[in-house]
Amino acid sequence: MSEGYSILVDTSKCTACRGCQIACKQWNGLPGTKTKNEGTHENPMDLSADTWKILRFSEGPSKNGNPFWYFFSEQCRHCMSPGCMAEAEKGEIIQDEKTGAVIFTPKTKSLNYEATREGCPYDIPRQNPKTKELFKCSMCFDRITNNMIPACVKSCPTGAMTFGERPKILETAKARVQELTKRFPKAKALNADDVRTIYIVTDDPQKYWKLAAGK
Amino acid sequence: MTVSRREFLAISGAVGAGFALSTLGIDMGPVKAYAEELKKIDKMKSATQSTTICPYCAVGCGLICSTDTKAKKIINIEGDPDHPINEGALCAKGASLFQTTANNPNRLQKVLYRAPGSDKWQEKSWEWALSEIAKRVKATRDANFIEKNAKGEVVNRVEAIAHVGSAALDNEELWPLQAMMRALGLVYIEHQARI
Repeated sequence: MSEGYSILVDTSKCTACRGCQIACKQWNGLPGTKTKNEGTHENPMDLSADTWKILRFSEGPSKNGNPFWYFFSEQCRHCMSPGCMAEAEKGEIIQDEKTGAVIFTPKTKSLNYEATREGCPYDIPRQNPKTKELFKCSMCFDRITNNMIPACVKSCPTGAMTFGERPKILETAKARVQELTKRFPKAKALNADDVRTIYIVTDDPQKYWKLAAGK
Repeated sequence: MTVSRREFLAISGAVGAGFALSTLGIDMGPVKAYAEELKKIDKMKSATQSTTICPYCAVGCGLICSTDTKAKKIINIEGDPDHPINEGALCAKGASLFQTTANNPNRLQKVLYRAPGSDKWQEKSWEWALSEIAKRVKATRDANFIEKNAKGEVVNRVEAIAHVGSAALDNEELWPLQAMMRALGLVYIEHQARI
């Protein structure tokens, strides 16, 4: 297996414009979701069969009294050893050899939804209640196998998201964390050895999202 | 031979051309639900590409509209990597531009009019709407035209009408619009992005 691809999400550069969230819907032809104001900019409030990428907003006071406001552009991590695949014994979920993308096929209809979701350390899989099929980010498999980068990465105006060959992305992540550590001692790349969607955070990952670093 | 859509995509990716699929004799049954998306990536390869500018804010990001050569319909809009301003990137508003095309079934196609005090929308023609606007502007201007202010100085203005500009207007449209509003005597000339 080649090293495949990786996506780097540098949250220190994210302004939460949500271009990625919309670009994902646009490319994948996913319909809008009816939402209401919950007192946060997060909208909709969770992933669904129609929302594979979501901007999580988190705010609160820090120990030094200054408030924090963190943005976390959530999507499937495309794990190196995917937990969701434990339930999928008949090829319902595929890990592509060349790219490393973890892909839900229409056969996921026959999977145990709760168990598959439970198997994911990041709580990503979602079910279409009508067709029972499971959905999540496909790393834009149709794009990346046709010389295009994922829709979310392409749309990112601040360069918070980058896509490329995994060794190069790991190198970039390492260098960026080193640079950030000067200002943010807690800066780190989350589970870089285990996942393909690598997030760089500048504070405790739980402050961004409870499952930012997994269960 | 039956393949799932994803396996199929892997095959077509490996072959390097989705066009080859009809000659491979692949059974399209299992992938039917995904036919639209499948077509999209293949259609993208032969689509006519034309550039445009995002109509929303003053940054002026560049986009590429991909138009299906057969259906003559826009199938995708995304950032233009060669544009010096955004280099392919887009914010949430720019990334949603595809919704403004004819592909959106919720898009208004006809003039809707709600009379003062009414709670119902009526369908009207463009001709009716344009002449009605012209009639009302004329009537309001005639009734409220101020030739001189309290000090007796000539001002020639209309304070009873305001104009709100749109970010979707370009320079060339704005010039005649501004000239026309000034000619009418308007002083309340605003822009949607400042409100």
